[in-house]
Amino acid sequence: MTDLIQYLFNGLVAGSIFAIAAVGISLLYSVLRLVNFAAGDFLTLGAFITYFFSVTLEINFILSIIISMLAGMAICWFLELVLWRNLRRNKAGTLALFLVATGVALMLRPIIQYIFGTETRRFNVDILKTYDFFGARIPQTQLVVLVFATISILLIALFMAKARIGKDMRAYANNPSLAAVSGINVDRVVMATWLISGALGSLAGVFQGLVQGQFNNAMGETLLLSFFAAVVLGTIGDAYGALVGGLLLGLFMELSQLDIFFGGVPSNYKPVVAFAALVLVLLFKPEGLFGYRSRKV
Amino acid sequence: MAILEVRDISVSFGGIKPVRGVSFSVEAGSFTSIIGPNGAGKTSLFNLISGVNKIDAGEILFKGQTIHKLHAHEIASRGLVRTFQGAKVIKRLTVAENLMMAVQGNPGDSLWRFFTPRSRSKFEKHARELAMERLDRVGMTKYADEFAGILSGGQRKLLDLSRALMTNPSMILLDEPFAGVNPTLVEKLLEVLATMRKQHEITFLLIEHDLETVMNISERVIVMAEGKIIADGLPNSIYENEQVVDAYLGSRKRGA
Amino acid sequence: MAGIYGVFSLGLQIQYGVAGVMNFGHVGMMAITGYAIAILVIRFQWSFWWAAFVGVALAALGGALLGLSTLRLSGDYFAIASIAFAEITRYWILNSDGITGGAQGTLAIPNPRGFGGYTDEPEVILTWIVDRLTPYLGDNASRDLAVLLVVWPFFFLFLWISARLQKTSWARVLRATREDDDVPRSLGKNVFRFRLQALVIGSVFGGIAGAFWAVQFMLLAPEDFLRIVTFYGWMILILAGATRVKGLAIAAIFFGFLYGATRFVEFWPISLLSAPERSYLRIFLIGVVLIALMVKRPQGLFGKRQEMVLE
Repeated sequence: MTDLIQYLFNGLVAGSIFAIAAVGISLLYSVLRLVNFAAGDFLTLGAFITYFFSVTLEINFILSIIISMLAGMAICWFLELVLWRNLRRNKAGTLALFLVATGVALMLRPIIQYIFGTETRRFNVDILKTYDFFGARIPQTQLVVLVFATISILLIALFMAKARIGKDMRAYANNPSLAAVSGINVDRVVMATWLISGALGSLAGVFQGLVQGQFNNAMGETLLLSFFAAVVLGTIGDAYGALVGGLLLGLFMELSQLDIFFGGVPSNYKPVVAFAALVLVLLFKPEGLFGYRSRKV
Repeated sequence: MAILEVRDISVSFGGIKPVRGVSFSVEAGSFTSIIGPNGAGKTSLFNLISGVNKIDAGEILFKGQTIHKLHAHEIASRGLVRTFQGAKVIKRLTVAENLMMAVQGNPGDSLWRFFTPRSRSKFEKHARELAMERLDRVGMTKYADEFAGILSGGQRKLLDLSRALMTNPSMILLDEPFAGVNPTLVEKLLEVLATMRKQHEITFLLIEHDLETVMNISERVIVMAEGKIIADGLPNSIYENEQVVDAYLGSRKRGA
Repeated sequence: MAGIYGVFSLGLQIQYGVAGVMNFGHVGMMAITGYAIAILVIRFQWSFWWAAFVGVALAALGGALLGLSTLRLSGDYFAIASIAFAEITRYWILNSDGITGGAQGTLAIPNPRGFGGYTDEPEVILTWIVDRLTPYLGDNASRDLAVLLVVWPFFFLFLWISARLQKTSWARVLRATREDDDVPRSLGKNVFRFRLQALVIGSVFGGIAGAFWAVQFMLLAPEDFLRIVTFYGWMILILAGATRVKGLAIAAIFFGFLYGATRFVEFWPISLLSAPERSYLRIFLIGVVLIALMVKRPQGLFGKRQEMVLE
């Protein structure tokens, strides 16, 4: 029973972070048909920038988070203007987008390593305080993250549903040519997508750093495939789906350690669960949970 | 002898039902046209018969054997081929290569044969001869080694048709072969079709909008609207059919 | 080094350049062969040559497995699935301490004879080569040079085979497939089978690259087979011009230069950086090259622009 609660909690925490990161990736795919291989590194970047401001410069933590989100947005904004717009104009194909996204990731990683060094970092928060809940260990940091992440998720969902630009994005994702001729400002939609992705990426990175207790530059990279798994699970192209997919994947990954699943998946195989889930979903239900196929499958 | 039998087939996707309960048979060696307003389900029907899409219900038999469960390429190798609306050609291959790809029984298709270059080159030469001959019949030999992308729309139709014919089919489904083709080329196409009919007893099933041509060359006309067959018979009788006129013109009252 | 990556990229070329299959998990094939050799030789005392043969066959099998399960998917999704495949493979290697030595690499593979490598047999040949060359080259006649002299002839042989392969009607069907699936299908070609064959053949070359890698480095570890390795291959491929085989040798050399220069070149400004910093530089540069290529010259050095743009 204790195990179950523990895994449930861990799963929700992990899942909420996946959800946030997955939305960014999902939006990029549905609006731009871009599989963002650099997503993981944006997470890492977010975490490190926050670290820099909050620990090194001793600026208020919340403020640091906001700064890092802005930084993430700024970089995405820059890349969109300089790189992506160009590629779209030249009608770059799938492969080109893939490789360029990878190129960005390959450039980002060393830059982070160069500026911030390679040691493992910790945020200036108390990571040792834990609560006891029916025998399960609930670290305070993770609880806080869970709360804030859930709030963020709700805000995101609200934004997608209500905000003008959110609706425009969904319309464009659904049918780009129709959206364009009905007066939706495509450039703005695209830029909005990037800004949101950048911000969410940083946010997810900070959360992840908090949850892990400590982090290094490989943090985002190792999680990347799990994010993709979440996106696919929740139906590619559906941002709400990405939220659900993320949560479910997190839960699934953690709960797989329960004995009922072949005696429990050992914890270092957890990522494999995500990868396997990814492959299985692609094979048997590529439409994800929400059943429709956007664009081509 | 019916070479193609379609029994009560339907399909639906994305909330629409392009084909509902369609049944008909085609006699070997005959020339049948399918007409109907846009969206009637004609191309969908072709897609179902040729295996590009799967039917939800019903059966399709070709030469007496069920084909609706087979993959498109398997159906094609049994002698049922088709052309495409808008004439798909492979632009990165030359015109000749487009045709050569169609010749059946190519040992080069099988990877094991990579190690028997002689049988492959013999086949290639033979294929090339056939391709040139075919090009000659439609007057396009000078394009043989140009990339197919340079062809005009009408020429692509000719290529599409020639390619289908290269496979030595028993039956061809032609999807709007005359659309957007200038009259001289239409003549050419008709010539080719006529020769093929006579020499090889190929069965033709055509989708077309140009009613005049259809009436002139078809032995039988099937009319579709909203996924169903609403008329089927000799060209003349179709002209008189009220339902057909309604379908084409909407429910406008006829006559004065 | 360049030679090994060259062979690796050749596999990718067949998969993408000919068949249009975007495989980003190619490194998995390398890993399969490399580790298969290590395990078979060290643990089960097989002869190196048989182990290499089986290793490559296993890579082909891996390719088949990947293809059979995921080729039905469209390009983007297949790419992701292929990465998942390679990562699952790597993870398994990483975590199966008993069989593969886990994070410590092949040194830790249980060996009935005690400590030992797996390259004893190829060593004989390499040493022979070194001995023959020493009279002429003195100290320069190193083991590395010997490996180079073994790998490159094979590379050229494979290039030649590949070039012949691409002129066949088999390749022609695949090229047609890149543009449109329906046309070859309507002519009776089983598009899936063709693609699968291309994937498997490409995997064979990937596996061979893995075998060469095993010989060159005498020691394998999971970190050798990270996701990024496949992208090195892609960089070489794009640089060479995806649809042509010709440029691969040159592109491979360029890559080798990039890789090596950041490691061994001592003069300024590279000497400003320490060793770990240089590895970042290497990765950074590869990212830059990749982006620059795709933006400015996606057809690489030898490709034809129109073929790339058609994607």
